[in-house]
Amino acid sequence: MPNLASPLAGVKVLDFSGGTSGGISTKLMAVMGADVVKVEAPGAGDVTRAQGPFPGDAPHPEKSGQFLYLNTNKRGVTLSLEHPTGRAAARRLVVWADIVVENFRTGQFSEWGFGYDEIERINPGAILVSIAPFGQTGPYRDFRGNDHIIQALGGLLYVTGDPKREPLRIGGEPSEYFAGLSAFAGALIALTYRDLSGIGQHVDVSAHEGIAVAQMYSALAYIFTGAERGRQAASPLYRVSDGQVGVSLRQQDWPGFCQMIGRPELEQDDRFKDMAARRANQEALTALINEWIHDKKKQDLYHEAQKMGMTWGYICDTKDLMESPQYQHRGYFTEIDHPVAGRLTYPGMPLRWGDGVWELRPAPLLGQHNAEVYGDILGWSQEDLVLMRATGVI
Amino acid sequence: MALPLEGIRILDPSQVWAGPTCTKILGDLGADVIKVESARRMDIARGDARAAPGGMGFYPENDPGPDPWNREGKYADRNRSKRSICLDLTHPRGVDAFKRIAAHCDVVVENYRQGVMDRFGLGYNDLKKVRPDIIMLTMASQGATGPEAAYGSFGVTLEQTAGVASVTGYLGGDPSTSGVLFPDPLVSVVSVGFILAALRQRRQTGEGVYIDLSQREMTTSILGDMVMDYTMNDRAWEPIGNRHRTFAPQGIYQCRGSDVWIAISVETDRDWAAFAQTMGRPELIDDPRYATVIGRREHHDELDSLITAWTSVRDAFITMSTLQAAGVPAGVVEKGEDLVSDPQLVARGFWEYTGHTPAETRPYLSRPFKFSKTPGFTRFPAPLLGADTAAVLRDIAGMSDAEIAELDGLGVTEDDPLTFAP
Repeated sequence: MPNLASPLAGVKVLDFSGGTSGGISTKLMAVMGADVVKVEAPGAGDVTRAQGPFPGDAPHPEKSGQFLYLNTNKRGVTLSLEHPTGRAAARRLVVWADIVVENFRTGQFSEWGFGYDEIERINPGAILVSIAPFGQTGPYRDFRGNDHIIQALGGLLYVTGDPKREPLRIGGEPSEYFAGLSAFAGALIALTYRDLSGIGQHVDVSAHEGIAVAQMYSALAYIFTGAERGRQAASPLYRVSDGQVGVSLRQQDWPGFCQMIGRPELEQDDRFKDMAARRANQEALTALINEWIHDKKKQDLYHEAQKMGMTWGYICDTKDLMESPQYQHRGYFTEIDHPVAGRLTYPGMPLRWGDGVWELRPAPLLGQHNAEVYGDILGWSQEDLVLMRATGVI
Repeated sequence: MALPLEGIRILDPSQVWAGPTCTKILGDLGADVIKVESARRMDIARGDARAAPGGMGFYPENDPGPDPWNREGKYADRNRSKRSICLDLTHPRGVDAFKRIAAHCDVVVENYRQGVMDRFGLGYNDLKKVRPDIIMLTMASQGATGPEAAYGSFGVTLEQTAGVASVTGYLGGDPSTSGVLFPDPLVSVVSVGFILAALRQRRQTGEGVYIDLSQREMTTSILGDMVMDYTMNDRAWEPIGNRHRTFAPQGIYQCRGSDVWIAISVETDRDWAAFAQTMGRPELIDDPRYATVIGRREHHDELDSLITAWTSVRDAFITMSTLQAAGVPAGVVEKGEDLVSDPQLVARGFWEYTGHTPAETRPYLSRPFKFSKTPGFTRFPAPLLGADTAAVLRDIAGMSDAEIAELDGLGVTEDDPLTFAP
């Protein structure tokens, strides 16, 4: 029996959140050993169940890749907060929980009777974590924001892309993930304080502020120098026979690089002798590199340069990641069996915890743990469950 | 009300961005963070000891001044709410001093290249001997193990090797890196959670832990749907510029002024109707080309021109307010100057002002979360290099004045980088 890593064992999380930001925040807690009960609306469930990707592009609520990834290790129940009986059940679950997480439209959770004041009244030690595009207060609190809008208003977009073209967003949903990881950190800060004081509180997470923190360079350039940093030509990526390689040549890299390309005489060439000269002769340098590099292979170059102490990269797509000897060595990708979606490879945990092993369990089917959770925590009988299902509460 | 992390002490030899930003957040929330550098090997974010005006550093009014290492803006923001000590860790007495401080710390955070701390004699097993329940977080670029563990990285190479760059780039164009080195802030914020999880485990079990975080793996972990699509369908993703994988139209559109842009994102048919109405083009709502998401995706280029014609003569902020009032997701592409005066960030007190003197006082970035009962704030400006060396050696390591003077005489605690600058 391996030593299972479970630093958050014993922490009880009631998770009303959905989508990416909420999903990743409680996923980390769940894999780290917390008991996370994910509450989904009866019928459709979490929004990511409808979003995919799906095997063969055939939509199926139990086969959404994003849902499966974001909800490993959680227990799942259905509960309608639109229904008064559902809200009454939710209040009893709040009494059970150490941490309650939500990312509804701002104000929605309060309208259902779960404002922080009310949560504090029924469970004074509870920590309520609210994740919203712009946080719970301020003039933009009711603005609609998704990843694209948040990257713009948070200052990330303006500095990415070609200086001669329009700003460019970072691919994927970085602001959603950043908000979720911030919520994870915020919850742990509040839990630390609660363990010492017994006092719970409301943690207000803003995706907008997350991106404002992440962009850093852009704001600090203006604050300290009065000038905008703007979009700078991206770090040079060179086309090779099977992809692209990120070439970086610091001052100390030049002699080794000249050896690497079989042109030792260039070491003494005045056009390239230092960083300033290389910048001044960038075009000649680029031509030189292109001529040498174009028929090489990305991974050969990456490993060769790194072994010489040069910090190069190469563009990895998912196939490259899966085949990466480094990822394979660390066992980053993990296979998980799911009763409906089958056995699939998932991104795993990005860290090792002592000599412990993370245990990854499949995401819950919609309502999979209704009997167990409602039976154990609320004392519902089988008859109660039938009644609740028939009336649309669960 | 007390700060939530009061009583936690962090020993922090981390450098540059990911490590320092993590510990600055812990410092803002009350942890006693002791940053370890040496005059010989400062945090490289401090810049050069003899910086020239117009270099890479962000110096106040572009003036590096006589002590540029204490003035660099990125360094200042990432290291406020900490104390600073100088210890030469290549000297045995420096290593000894580090251990004597570590004996009174809860957590050590480091992001050196893999193996460096071990070579100093300050690896987890060394530190465990002086503090059995110590928690150590190492955030090497590729983790502490594996064939690429010793490889170097910058944020910009991690974006490439973790997969983010493969989906960033203009539509139909090549992959691209971002303008901000996104992996660093990502790793910094999640590490706050990991450290506090380890502290909770220690409260429960009495045991410390060695945490081996891979910055590359953490960055791939924000690409769940991309990986799962490959897993399920063998499909590799390519850059799609500013568009959305599903709904349309979405893009960045020029507004009045130079290099002024607005982001607009139409998620639903209802959004489209509201958008067309706001543009004063109600006839487009039911236009068969645009009425459905399928049509809008097909005619995306055409829609982009049509939207640009409308936005390009308009003020970006007014257009955002008008669209948001109609329920359409829209946001100005904010520059540094816009961020500092952004009404939402200002109203929520996002900017925190600090500086060593009134003249130096500037807004600093705060944190992405607020707590209803416990405070958290930029407690004091980034320390001058080595400002707290003597106090920490005396009060925490328990050294006598004579011993501190001896270390000073040996150069172990030297704190003037000009001593070593070329």
